[in-house]
Amino acid sequence: MDVSKPPSRKEYMTMQKGRGRGLFGVFPGRYPRELFWSHGVLPMEIWDPVLDTSGSGVHLQPTICSIVKAGLELIIQGKCDDLDGFLFPHTCDSIQNLGSMVRDYLDVSKPCLFFYPPKAPYGRASRVFFRRELERLALELEGIYGRPDRDALHNAVVQGREVQKTLAALYAARAEGRLDASNSEFYRVVRLVEYMHPDDMLPAMKEFLDQRTTNHSVRTPCLVLSGVLPNPEGLFPVLDQLGLRVGDDDLLSCGRRLSGETDSGLDALDSLVESILGMPACSTINSPIEERRKQIIRKTGRCSAGGVLFNVIKFCEPDLFYYPYLRESLRKQGIKTLFLENEVNRDISGQTETRIEAFAEMIRRRRE
Amino acid sequence: MSLTARARFRFMKDMGAPALMAGSRAFMRARGRRRAPGPDTAPPLACGRRLREIMTRHYFLSRYAKGAAPVAWVTSGAPVELLRAFGFYTVYPENHGALCGAKGVGARLCSVAERNGYSQDLCSYARIDLGVALSGNSPAGKLPRPDLLFASNNICQTVAYWYTVLAEQWGVPFLLFDTPFNHAGGPSGADIAYMTSQLEDMLPTLERVSGCKFRMKALEAVLDLSKETAETWGAVLGTMKAVPSPMTIFEAFVHLAPVVSLRGLPVALEYYRVLFEELNQRVARGQGALREERKRLMWDNIAVWYKVRDFSTLFAERGMSFVTATYTNAWAETASDMDAGRPLESIARTYSRVILNNSLGDRLRLMEQLIRDYRVEGLVIHSARSCKPYSVGQYDLKRLLLERLGVPSVVIEADIADERAYSEQQTRTRLEAFFEALES
Repeated sequence: MDVSKPPSRKEYMTMQKGRGRGLFGVFPGRYPRELFWSHGVLPMEIWDPVLDTSGSGVHLQPTICSIVKAGLELIIQGKCDDLDGFLFPHTCDSIQNLGSMVRDYLDVSKPCLFFYPPKAPYGRASRVFFRRELERLALELEGIYGRPDRDALHNAVVQGREVQKTLAALYAARAEGRLDASNSEFYRVVRLVEYMHPDDMLPAMKEFLDQRTTNHSVRTPCLVLSGVLPNPEGLFPVLDQLGLRVGDDDLLSCGRRLSGETDSGLDALDSLVESILGMPACSTINSPIEERRKQIIRKTGRCSAGGVLFNVIKFCEPDLFYYPYLRESLRKQGIKTLFLENEVNRDISGQTETRIEAFAEMIRRRRE
Repeated sequence: MSLTARARFRFMKDMGAPALMAGSRAFMRARGRRRAPGPDTAPPLACGRRLREIMTRHYFLSRYAKGAAPVAWVTSGAPVELLRAFGFYTVYPENHGALCGAKGVGARLCSVAERNGYSQDLCSYARIDLGVALSGNSPAGKLPRPDLLFASNNICQTVAYWYTVLAEQWGVPFLLFDTPFNHAGGPSGADIAYMTSQLEDMLPTLERVSGCKFRMKALEAVLDLSKETAETWGAVLGTMKAVPSPMTIFEAFVHLAPVVSLRGLPVALEYYRVLFEELNQRVARGQGALREERKRLMWDNIAVWYKVRDFSTLFAERGMSFVTATYTNAWAETASDMDAGRPLESIARTYSRVILNNSLGDRLRLMEQLIRDYRVEGLVIHSARSCKPYSVGQYDLKRLLLERLGVPSVVIEADIADERAYSEQQTRTRLEAFFEALES
């Protein structure tokens, strides 16, 4: 596979279907990919399909975020026919109700599964509950696909660890300025995890890492990107043109799903528990603001970023509630911030481009 | 807790509050105040005066609570019984947000939060509360600074984000009671175990903040009281099954305050007993809340607080009586699950099963039941900009209720407490069309 031109999601889905793999649509955000892999099923994450979302207005208020609208649109336009079912992780109120609406009110004739990660702070009961939640989901998948091979989950967990390790290496190289890749290229590779099987994704990521890692550090002006996902795509060419490197991110779909290393001595399910509960602080799981603040500051330090770009999806409550405190505490640390409010797949306006230019200028001056 | 603060609180409770109430009554008499009924409505319920006194006293005493008792800010769906067992003085920011909305100052307080970076797209209760926290201004005088924040995400995730911000603002402990969403008709055994365990884990923090040891007996007594209060509130709502209904939902929105804010205290139960009695007398006399009840309606979602009076008049003029609401029903529907014999487990079950923590399929079934029980002929759906868990799914609910029961409905796009999100013209146009559909 040419990692600079990976197959589109649709092409990849068709290929995988041809190979006999099951396909499951997964809404944002934290869930155990490995459980699906162990059943020979490919979780296809639904974040930002490019669609005209006017049809979803029949079901959703105008004040619902564009991620939920785009996801629903994908279903009602019949573009999910190849999928065997849907998983709705409990990420926010809108996704919670979307899942319920799709199952209870719209006749989709496909299984709709739900997944509830416990909210922080994690007490002694959280791990016990979460393991049971994983067992429940595994059982539901068994009901659809049958019992997997005895070692399938263990193997999937090992692959999951490898994926996390490779992603961590990519992010580390990026932060240190040793990855010779544009912002667009970097996120094209990072986002493979949203729809590819590890058999294909891992070699592609590793190849990219090998080919693009350099021995010297590039010290271009750098920022940390915060928000839900690396979208709109138009943002990256703008940053590339300005010579601004995204050195790290605090995105729900990317950096906030990078788990640390888990103990390889744990059994497969406990390893998944630790992997997901060990993911970075996130507003969707109610992490204290202080943890999120420290996390962003640590990231800015690691890549020597001069600023943080909050690229928030309009109507996204989890991010909008945390933003004022984060902005204030970053300002106190002398870290510049820029707040953009976007809808997925919406073009970057000229006005926004001008604001980004001004922000880039501030970051450059700060470096000088 | 300081002795001076305790003495001051005691004095205000025993002397200040009664004096304030007496003064308020005298003032009302001097002004000849008892709101004259509109031409289309029955005289106001006599209980209304008692309700005003109870709530005024609650907010008045809250100003003196700090230092005299541990103060907790609590969400409307949180199991307050646990806090009562430790003697917390509880303040409900949502109730306070509704009060600000009803007084027409919601937008002003929201804009304080917005000037500090909070998006206008966030819940208006939260923005009002943050606006009050940032400015210190409130129509209720002054809210006591919390020693503890206590929330449950059984009503929405918004409260978790909101209270996380408050915890940062005040630097006080925040306890979140995490209630897994019920997609399958009710909580599983694993869900109950998880929730019960969380409650157990909260006890040391509650002991530390309150300075009181936990006594199971105290919790059991509060649970008994709370259960009876919620059941009596349910009985109050049940009187509205009568034709004509002795009270409209707009009145019920106001009489809801004690079961939300004072649940688990004797005063709430005493109040609902009196209200129940008064409503029963109306039913026995065949007296309705409206002079002529021509149509019976249901309300879905939280009230549009700044429009309660206007809507009340508008619908009364047409002989349309709101006899039930999913919102008011929420504090009664799961009361039967409370069980002092299994305190923590029953708290988990009770609070996990509230309407907003259940699937939309369950909500549809509940609404169908209410429509049948209360002989509802039409439905007004408030699509509240602030409240996503209540509002997402409403467009389909409207369609399904028409298909399944033939009940017509109208969707009003508005907000609970921020009047800027309300368009009078658009709402009137929609309502006129709805009135025509009902009459045809």
